[in-house]
Amino acid sequence: MSRASSSAAGSAAAAPGSDRLWDSPLGRRLLGLGIWSLVVALWEWLTQSGNAPDYLVAPSAIVVTLARLAADGELWTHMAASLFRVAIGLSVGAVAGTLIGLLAGVNRAVELYFDPIISLTYPVPKIAILPILMAWFGIGDLSKIVIIITAVFYPTFINSYYGAKGVALSHLRAALNMGASPWRVFWRVVFPASLPQILTGLRIALALSFIVLFAAEMIGARSGLGYLIIVAENNLRFDIMYASLLTIGIIGLAADRGLLALRQRLLAGRPDAGSRR
Amino acid sequence: MNARQLAEGFVRAGAVLSLLVPWEIVSRAGLIPQLLAPGLADIGAAFWAALLNGDLVYHASFSLWRALAGFGMAVAVGIPLGAAMARARLFEAVFEPVFSFSYPVPKIALYPIFIFIFGLGSGSKVALVFLECLYPITVNAYFGIRGVEPAYLRAALNMGARPLRLFWRVVVPAAAPDIFAGIRIALPVAFIVVILAEMIGESVGLGYYISYQSVSFDNASSMAGIAAVAIIGFCLDRLLIAIRARLVFWEHLDRVDR
Repeated sequence: MSRASSSAAGSAAAAPGSDRLWDSPLGRRLLGLGIWSLVVALWEWLTQSGNAPDYLVAPSAIVVTLARLAADGELWTHMAASLFRVAIGLSVGAVAGTLIGLLAGVNRAVELYFDPIISLTYPVPKIAILPILMAWFGIGDLSKIVIIITAVFYPTFINSYYGAKGVALSHLRAALNMGASPWRVFWRVVFPASLPQILTGLRIALALSFIVLFAAEMIGARSGLGYLIIVAENNLRFDIMYASLLTIGIIGLAADRGLLALRQRLLAGRPDAGSRR
Repeated sequence: MNARQLAEGFVRAGAVLSLLVPWEIVSRAGLIPQLLAPGLADIGAAFWAALLNGDLVYHASFSLWRALAGFGMAVAVGIPLGAAMARARLFEAVFEPVFSFSYPVPKIALYPIFIFIFGLGSGSKVALVFLECLYPITVNAYFGIRGVEPAYLRAALNMGARPLRLFWRVVVPAAAPDIFAGIRIALPVAFIVVILAEMIGESVGLGYYISYQSVSFDNASSMAGIAAVAIIGFCLDRLLIAIRARLVFWEHLDRVDR
């Protein structure tokens, strides 16, 4: 009975008198690490022994290939191409989405204009227009940047819109009462108050931009990590496939953790600063 | 309907028209070649033709089947897994780090490998959808169940509830809004992933249809395919909202997002 309630209470300290490894936070860490190291070791052994199918490449071989790709510069070229597209697409889309979302949250006319368009097109998978964009803008950087902007606009718009809508009326009235100009109220009251929501939207947008980018690069491109995977697939180079996959994973994880760290800094002292969801 | 609602209705219609009318003008005036940007009438005609000859229904049925199969599997696996992670420390120790580290990784990059494992047909798509949907469903179920108010649990235990009854009558209803939030994230993801995967490599499905028509320089048909994707996406969203209204009717905090 006490077990049920203590586990429900979340990451509470280990119950007194517990003797199982996974009852303490450190033990849980070790156990997780141990089990997954075992899985990797098993994977390595299986591929070394020659019993594994072709598409399973030994972890050591993946690391070797990754080091080789990094050494001859191929990896960096593709990585730079991918990161360039994400950087432009994400910053343009997120700034536009956030600004227009905030404006729609405070201004009735902007809200009335964008609400029907957003609510009509929000549930539509934006990626569907990718082939058309490629017909329009070619398979270079531009079609990828445009699809990222489109995809990123929605989560940033919606989150900053609800963020601005949720600003306490008393804060607005207080600021206006003290003679703040609408511009000042927007930047000094509405924006900071909506920041948690804006950052939530940004995190969704970040993940989405990578998904859309790598998919677009797989569908049609001449460079980028998604393209590298497809080339490797066509040449049956499974080691390169896994190496680029690993790179994509590291980039995705690093970007997400970076944003979470930024969130903690920007929202320092606020209750939802450390929220990981 | 009063005058104010009527006026807002006009504004709403005007907003949508403000996007469609310039499109039609640009297309008619030939500012962009009609081949690239067909007019609305052409798109409508292409949609109607593809609907009548069964193309759209045929491809849409493949896409929907794959999306729902992967999504259904993710629900069937993800909710029990999330519950196990929330209620059993051992499961938490093993699976929490995996979900935490691989959540932000774009799983679409695994698709080429899935093709080799599950084949070029539906198998690899369903597997990819399953994987992409598993994350939001499991993680939301995990946080939802972990966050159940301990007082509820103690009260139920005090009144002599057995573990199974505790789970179904207290834990599940208390966590249902969170579990449903995961499902609501996952269903559109399922559809998006299917369309993407079909664009990368397939010979049936709406994603394939859109991309095939586009490279065949039939952008009107391609946009008809996009319209079909849009309609399905919109209907799935409405369906989810309707289900949520019935299933987790006690949660009405975020009714604002219609």
